[in-house]
This record gives sequence, structure tokens and C-alpha cells, in this order.
Amino acid sequence: MSDAILSFNRVSYCYPDGTAALNNCSVTIRRGTRTAVLGANGAGKTTMFLHLNGILRPTAGHVSWEKTPLDYSRATMRNLRSRVGMVFQNPDSQLFSASVQEDVSFGPMNLGLEKKIVRERVAAALAAVGMTETANKPVHNLSYGQKKRVCIAGVLAMQPEVLVLDEPMAGLDAAMQDELAAVLEQLHTSGMTIIIATHDLDFAYGWADEVIVLQSGQLLAQGAAEEILQDVKIQNELGAAPLVAEITRSLSLIGIDLRDKGYTPRTKTELLMAITAQSRQEATL
Amino acid sequence: MLIEQSAYTNRWRRVSPAAKGIFSLCGMIAAYAATAPATACGVAAILCAVTVLGAGIPLGRYLRIAAPALFFLAASALSLAVSLKIGNTVSALSLHLSRAELEPIAHVCGRSLGGLTALLFLALTTPLSDIISLLRRCKLPDTLLDLMTLSYRTLFVFSEAVHETITAQSARMGYATITLSLRSLGGMVANLSVQVWHRSQALHLAALARNNDGALRFLEPEHPDAPRTIPLAVISGFLLVFLAAFLP
Repeated sequence: MSDAILSFNRVSYCYPDGTAALNNCSVTIRRGTRTAVLGANGAGKTTMFLHLNGILRPTAGHVSWEKTPLDYSRATMRNLRSRVGMVFQNPDSQLFSASVQEDVSFGPMNLGLEKKIVRERVAAALAAVGMTETANKPVHNLSYGQKKRVCIAGVLAMQPEVLVLDEPMAGLDAAMQDELAAVLEQLHTSGMTIIIATHDLDFAYGWADEVIVLQSGQLLAQGAAEEILQDVKIQNELGAAPLVAEITRSLSLIGIDLRDKGYTPRTKTELLMAITAQSRQEATL
Repeated sequence: MLIEQSAYTNRWRRVSPAAKGIFSLCGMIAAYAATAPATACGVAAILCAVTVLGAGIPLGRYLRIAAPALFFLAASALSLAVSLKIGNTVSALSLHLSRAELEPIAHVCGRSLGGLTALLFLALTTPLSDIISLLRRCKLPDTLLDLMTLSYRTLFVFSEAVHETITAQSARMGYATITLSLRSLGGMVANLSVQVWHRSQALHLAALARNNDGALRFLEPEHPDAPRTIPLAVISGFLLVFLAAFLP
């Protein structure tokens, strides 16, 4: 693909204790896309993410940035880590400073930027996640959701081209999930490539452009979210299906095909709108 | 937590940490330079009044925070003042209070009290992250500051983990008897040791992911009041030292 930003070419990784976490995995992430990585616990999602940022080095195969295989030199890693931002699952495991503003400044300071620029970036990153008012608050007084946002701000302040988030919705209530989804949407609109590991099939179906499904360290499928997540075989492997996809399919079985105009609803709102439109159409006839 | 609460909510939270650090240092020098125990106690009273009235720390909270340190000070003073005198027989064993030693003991206690109130002034008006940035500007070794930063941050993470573990253990009768309590406590320590290991690994990975390759670097907070408050702190600090050193 011409616009591949990150790609795995037959990547395998084995942990020092002998666990084979990735096995001959080849995937491509395209620039500007929203990609959801799905799979059961232990499928290799986190290991894959640690390769995206150069923290882990494949035991076989290679990872490429814009089609150039990584050579894992100090300069390459510095460049890669400034372009690929990583947000881990547990905020308490990645917040270093007790002050919000200081923690967000950690990444840009590591890039060796001038203090004036760092200050501007910190302010912009906090504004992007709606945390400007907490800039001078201690991290330990924030809620779990706020800590997650600070983590995202800490990565955004490095102005990466790719944002990688490991289970960002885990532990958040519905309102916080909606707020985070809005932040992600805004970042996607600004042209950022976003990759998310999630167990939430409904979220993946509604949000992602592309989906990567991992199973026991191997690539089970990669493709358009709509296509992959409607595949009954994949649904069986994942042990679940997106609710909206299931309702759409069930409705089609009783003669109400919401997809007849070439448009498939992917979120609850889209589904409700499609059902309402269908009902109106039938009422008119 | 009371110290933490005061440091973030006091009236002088936004005042330059350098100004507060200078005043605190002058307070310690003044306590040491005090010529008489009463003068040292006077310095302590001034520093206490500045903290309570100036920074707006409630007196009750101030005393609660100072209580453990005051207890240790009282215990130390007592052990210095009273000595055990052993005679020829067991019945000759007696506690002895030397009148001549009271003067230097009172002086030491006065100085300690002054030093305590000077440190409390800084601790109760300045969050530790600000103190760490101040120490960084004073060119303290990076390793020491990194340890302080991480210890301070993880203090809250682990206090939460301890609280959660105790709650989970209590819910399963983990502290019903003394034997069970000891076993639960041991289990918690073992569990926390593993957590420390995992979290340190996670922090290392997170630092690598954000391009860190050495010392932890953070943006220092800005304090626009510094040009005004630092000279003020220097003048009032020197005045305190002068009063302590030259007043009878």
C-alpha cells in the first residue's frame, strides 16, 4: 500500500521466559486511519504495540516505518518514539511526576525542545484533552479518567504522527468513554493515525476504519472494520459480535434490510436513524 | 496527607518556592544563631505565626502536624536532662537531674524547635514537586532528584494499593484474629513487593516510550512573583537572623 506508515513483515517475538507472543505476523497500518486491534487476553496486542514504538525488537522479521525497516539505532529510536506516541493501559504506571503540568512536559523535554515551546505544547495538549483547569493540580487527586487524559496529553505534547492506545476505554464510565471518543475523533480529524487495542467490539465496529484480529500471537484477519466484524467466522473466534451488526443482520432475516442503499449502520445512533428512515419509507408506501 | 493538603491549598501556594526556601533557610540559621533559648523559642514563635497567619494554615492542623515531631523533641529533651546514676548498691540507683546541664539542653531544644518550625513553614506552603524543582535549580544531583520524584509519586500509588489490599483482606476475614492479621500482613508485603517490581518495569517502559534516555526532565513551573517576593524573603530572613543573633 502506498500510504503505509507502519508495517510488520513476518514479525515474531519470543519473551525471555520462552513465551511466543507474536508468530509470523504481517500487518500494515495506513496513514490517517483509525485501526482497532482485537483479540482475547494474551493474543499479543500489547506485544504488538511495544514493537510499534521500538521498545521490543522482533526476534524474527522486521518492523518498518514508512517502508524503511527499523535499524534500532539510538537515532532511529529517538526519531520513531517522537513520531509514535504510546499510551499504556494503567495511568498510574506511566505518570512520573506528581504535578499534571510537569508530567505532560516530560516527553517534550526529552525531545530537547526549548522551554518556551514546551510550555506552549503542554498548554495545547492539556486543552486538547480538556484538562487545562487541572494543570496545577496534583496527579494523585485526579480521577481515573482524568489520569488517562493526562497520559494522552503527555503523548500529544510530543506531537506524534501515530497515537497508540492500549485499552483506553478500560475502567472508564460511559460518560468518560464518550468524552474520550470525542477527543479521539478530534485527533483523527486533525490527521493523526490512531491505533487502539480494545475488547469492546461495539466501540471498534463504530469507530475503526480498519481492524486487526490477533489470535495466540498470529494474525487472524486484517481489513475494513465493517467487513471483518460482520464475518461470522471471525465473530465465532472472538466469541462475540457487535450488537449493531447483529441487530442489522437479524432485521434483514425478517425482511427489513437496512443495507439496501449501500449504507450499513455502525453505531447505535446510526442504527436508530436507519430504522426510523425505513419505517417512514414504509409508511409512505 | 495533612501536609500535602496544606501545601496545595495555602494562601502562598503560588508564591515563588525560591522565596519560601530562602525564608525557611534564614529561619533555620536564625534558630541556630539565637544567643539564648528564649530567643530561639521566639524565632520558632515568629515562624509559626508567619505560617499560620501569613500562609493561612489553620492552627489546629499545624499543631496536629507538628505533634509527632514535638513528641520526639520532648522525649529527647527528657533523655538529655535526666541521667541514670548508679551507686555502689542496687538501692543506690537513682535518676539524676543536673541543674548545670539544663541551660545547654534548653538551648538545643530551642534551636531544634526553631529548625522544626522553619522546615514546617516550607513543607506546609510548598508542594514537594515545587521543592524538587527548586532543588534542581540548586544543582542537586539528578539521581537524588529522580529518586525523590519517583518516591513521592509512588507513595500515593502504593498507599492506594495498600488500602485496596487491606479492604480485600478484611472482606475475607483477613484481620479477624492476631494470627490471621500477621498472615494477611505478610501476604500484603509479598504482594506489594511483586507490584513494586512490575510497576518499576512499567515505569521504565513508559519512560522509554516518551523518549527518555537518562535523567527525568520536567518543565519548571513559572512564578511571575519571584522578582518581588525573593527580595522580600531575603530582607525578612536577614532581619530574623539579625534579631536572633544580636538580641540579648
